[in-house]
Formats: sequence, structure tokens, C-alpha cells
Amino acid sequence: MSFKEALKDQRHNIRDYGMYIAFVVIVVFFTIATKGLFVSSRNIGNLVNATSYIAVLAVGMTLVIVIRHIDLSVGYLAGTLGAVAAIALKYWDLPVYATIPLVLALGILAGLVTAFLVAQMGIPAFVATLAGWLFYQGLLQLVTRGTGTIIIENDVFNAMGNGFIPDLPGVVIVPGVHTVTLLLGLLAIILYIAGEIRNRKKTQSYNFEVLPMNMFILKLAFVSLIIAGITWVLAGYRGLSWAAVILIVVVLIYSYITSRTVVGRHIYAVGGNPEAAELNGISVKKITFLVFGSMGFLTAVAGILYASWLRSATTIAGRGMELDAIAAAFVGGAAVSGGVGKVTGSILGALVMASLTNGMNLLGWDISIQYMVRALVLAGAVIFDVATRRRK
Amino acid sequence: MQPVAEAVPVVEMRNIKKSFAAVHALRGVDLVLNHNEVLGLVGDNAAGKSTLMKVLSGAYIPDEGEILIEGKNAHMTDPLDARRLGIEMVYQDLAIANNLDVTANVFLGREAVSTHLGPFSVMDSRKMEQEAQRLLNRLKIAIPSVRLMVERLSGGQRQAVAIARATAFNSKVIIMDEPTAALSVAAISQVLDIIRELKAQGASIIIISHRLEDVFGVSDRLVVMRQGRKVRDARIDEGIDEFRERVVAYMIGARDDFAEAAVV
Repeated sequence: MSFKEALKDQRHNIRDYGMYIAFVVIVVFFTIATKGLFVSSRNIGNLVNATSYIAVLAVGMTLVIVIRHIDLSVGYLAGTLGAVAAIALKYWDLPVYATIPLVLALGILAGLVTAFLVAQMGIPAFVATLAGWLFYQGLLQLVTRGTGTIIIENDVFNAMGNGFIPDLPGVVIVPGVHTVTLLLGLLAIILYIAGEIRNRKKTQSYNFEVLPMNMFILKLAFVSLIIAGITWVLAGYRGLSWAAVILIVVVLIYSYITSRTVVGRHIYAVGGNPEAAELNGISVKKITFLVFGSMGFLTAVAGILYASWLRSATTIAGRGMELDAIAAAFVGGAAVSGGVGKVTGSILGALVMASLTNGMNLLGWDISIQYMVRALVLAGAVIFDVATRRRK
Repeated sequence: MQPVAEAVPVVEMRNIKKSFAAVHALRGVDLVLNHNEVLGLVGDNAAGKSTLMKVLSGAYIPDEGEILIEGKNAHMTDPLDARRLGIEMVYQDLAIANNLDVTANVFLGREAVSTHLGPFSVMDSRKMEQEAQRLLNRLKIAIPSVRLMVERLSGGQRQAVAIARATAFNSKVIIMDEPTAALSVAAISQVLDIIRELKAQGASIIIISHRLEDVFGVSDRLVVMRQGRKVRDARIDEGIDEFRERVVAYMIGARDDFAEAAVV
């Protein structure tokens, strides 16, 4: 296969690549418009921290959308769980290592309650989680009524949303650049290339077709360059933040589960055709519990990240977060009809939306214009998605 | 083939009765399927043929009667029980997930696993792809790649994937519910070719169809049902015109080979 033919072959993947192209366009536009301020290490570092909690929610939301449901309750649930963390730390004097598991467990429990309403009682997810939205809004006000905003003074807890991974004292590769971050970036590139080569060899040994060598090298170079670029930018400020580390761990675990494991396959099968899944011995009910349970878990993670980032729990924490997460999932390629949507896509969707906000803020655009621009991007992404899907 | 295996039919259904409230869907039906036989099952709407096959595939539990699989009494309470006994059903609405590729659909619910971790077991994707490809080759199904999304396939190819899935796990009996309905003429002949190929490889098949010429084209024997009863059970040895005329006579109630045995 020639290089040109290989490119042609990839054309049906335009749907997947479209979002990457859009992201690059947005980054380039704001970089030029802000005279480089947008891609400054400091700004990117802040952008990542400000995106992390939405991105975590978007991962869970994508799976919920894949199985043809929606979850409107996650915003205030995240706020409520953040408040629980603050109260546990401040008024119950619980240590951090007890507070976090407690909040995560409560998150899973809340997710399972939603799943019970949807899978067991047969209530449409939109209605069940709208009830959750009201309920958690009330609950958040109730638990913060006596205190108002709760300031969190625990340094370890606050580091998750604000802190950076430590550097090796005394080891300097490039002066003024975070050494550990550079090394981690290098490690990521090596692991990525090694994994891709191993995968290619294994696929060839089974006599299945692989990308032609020049395309393969191009792909390796492109991804490596992106990792290197991000690493370099982040290392230029204070290195990799803990929020970014948490986000990367969530993405790696969820990508693996959705693409490589049996349960991941079953989630997409349920989304694609629930009747077919059931006829083939896959329990739609179990998958629904699992997906909403995971949504609850990730909501807890997001709630912790958000409270940590603000160093406090407020009475309106989480307002509108669910809509940002849903928008990120749709921008990232999830389909309302179900069965379609990738974890990596939702992260990209979250990054696109956050970059827009961040870039427009840097340019000092009016907030009313900002909302309308984001609306256009959301609608444009879905129109693009629908159009490329229809053309076969 | 050993004479013993020929003597014991692969499926024997005896006096199957099934009612839904006041409606007697099945009024005591006997049905035999021999090894390496293609059995056509026809009848007007509500004749009971789909109900009978749902009983055989474990979707319905009969009120009365017994089912023997290779001479052994079988008790099935759900489709998975039937599957474990080697009875596979190809559903009329295909039961295929369009958002997954060919391999994923063939192995849906029965994924090959490389590392066992309960529900989080890691799939052996390459092994499944290889197996799926081998299966398509064996049935002479023309699909460019097992990695294609099913939504990109034609109706005939989709039906082929559904049939391939039914044959993937050493099935004893394959039941096809209207395998040629809603297909183009070209796709119909594709599907019929696959059925002939399966028969040539020793499969035992039951086909429900409204299209008499399709049944005629691939079946060895024909069972006609009417109002919850079997009204004809005979080998197909006449020409197509005579066959069609005769079958219609049974379907509309003008003829009945089992009239004396009828209990209303």
C-alpha cells in the first residue's frame, strides 16, 4: 500500500481526527491572538488544573451517554461531596487518608442510587437525575447552612488541586525547568513507542494488516512530538500538577477498561443495541449499575479536586458542572443515540471547551460573547459529527 | 456417519403446549429435526411457528410437553440454557450491535479472554479476529475485513454476521427466524448460499420463512403450522409450482394431515 492510499484509507477516520484538528486550530488561534501568552507555561498549568475536574466528570458522563442515559445530578453531587470532605477534615478531624476513601465511597453509593432508579425502577435517567439535581442542591445548602463557605486548611488535601509533583533537589538538566516532569515526559514517550512497536509486531505475527511503515513512523513522531511539547511547556513553570497526575491516571485506567476489557466491550454493546446485548447474555441492568456507579465515583473525584482547587467548599459549588461535562462529552464525539464515544474524546472535548474559555478570557472578550462562541463550537462539533456519520 | 447418530434425532419436541392468557398459541405440537437436516417451518401469521421456536431456544417455557436434545431431556429456562445445549437462534431483527465491528458481534457475550479478572478480564482481540476471519472464510462469507463496523455492511452481510455468530461455538442446532426477510434479491441468494454451505458442513438447521421459494430452495423437509397445530410434515420432493400450491392449501386450512389427532 502506498503512502497516498494509506492516507485515503484513513479518511473514514476523519470523525476521530476532526476534533484533534479543531483543537490545534483553537490553540494556534489563541496563541497568535494573545501573542504567545496562551501557551505560556503558567497559563497552560492553570488551564490544566481548571479543566481537570470537568474532564474527570466528562469521562464518566461519556460512558453514561454511551449506554443511552444522561446524568444531570453530578454537578451538585460533586459540590456536596466536596462539602462532605471539607466538613470531615475541619469538623470531624478526620485525616486526609480517611476522608478521601469516605468521599469516594459516598460517591459510588450516590451513583448506585441513581442506577437503582434508572435500571430497577425504570425511571428515565433524565427525570431520575433531575430529581438528583434538585436533591443534591438542597443537600449542599443544608450541610453548609450553619457555616457558609468552609475554608479547608489541610495542605495535603489542597495540594491535589493546586500542588505540583516534587522535583529532584540538586539534579538540573535544563536550568529553570522541572527535571522530574521532563523525565516523566521522556518515559511516557519511550513507553508509548515501545508499546506501539510491540503491538505492531504482535498484529503482524497474526497476519493482520498494519499501517505502512512510513505512516507508522509519522504517527509515532506526531504523538511523541505532542507529548514532548506538553511536557516542555509544563516543565517550564512548576512541573506536572497533582491534578494533572490524577486526570492522567483516570484517563489511562478508563481507556484501558473501555477498549481492552470484556466489561468495556459490553458497555458499548448495551449502548449499541440493548436487546441484542440481553439476547447474548449481557445484563443491561448490571452494566447500568456499573456505569452509574463509576459516574458516582468520578463525581467524588471531581468534587475533591474542585474543593481542593478552591481550598474551600461553597454553598453553590458544582453549579453547572454537569452541563460542562455533558458539553465536553458531546464535543468529544459521544452520540446522543448511544453506543459511540471515547474516553480520550471526552478529555479532548473538555480541553477544547476550557481552552476556549481561557483564551477568550485572556483576550478580554465579554462574557456574553463567550457563551455564544461556546454554543457555536458545541453545535458545530455535533453538526460535524452527525454529517461525517451519515456519509458512508 | 454412524447409524446410531442417525437414529437419534438432534431435536425432538413432544406435545408442546403453550398458552398466553386465553390464547392457545401451541396446541400440542410434535417436531423432529434430524442430524444434518434443513427443516423449513412455515405458516400464516399467528400459526405458532415463532412461539414454537422461542420454546426451543429457551425464550418461552412450555406449559406442557418435553424437549429432547440428542435423546436427552432438556430443561431450559432462558436462552442461555439453550445456548449451552448448542441451540443457537438467529433473530429476525438480527440482534446485532451496529456500533461494534464484525469480530465484536461474532463474539458478543462470549469474548475470548487472555487475562482472567472477572468482569474486568482482558480480551484477546487478535485471537478473536483470527477466529472470526476463519469463520467467515469457512462459510464463504465475503466481508472485506473483520474490523469493519457492522453499520457499514449491507443487509445481507449483516445477516451473514448473525449466522456466523450462531455457528461460532459448536452449535448443534441453528434456528433462523425469517433470515431472508427485508433483504435484496442479491442478498437473499447470498444468505441461501451460506445456509447450503452450512448444510454441506453437517449443520442441522430450522428455517422459519414467509418466502416459500427460499424454503423450497434450501430445505429437505417441510413442516406447516396452522392455528397452533402441525398440519403437514413431509419431505420436499415435488416441483416448485406444485410445492407452492400444496403448501398454501395447508396454510389456509384446506388440507390437514393430522386432522384426527386434533384436540380443540
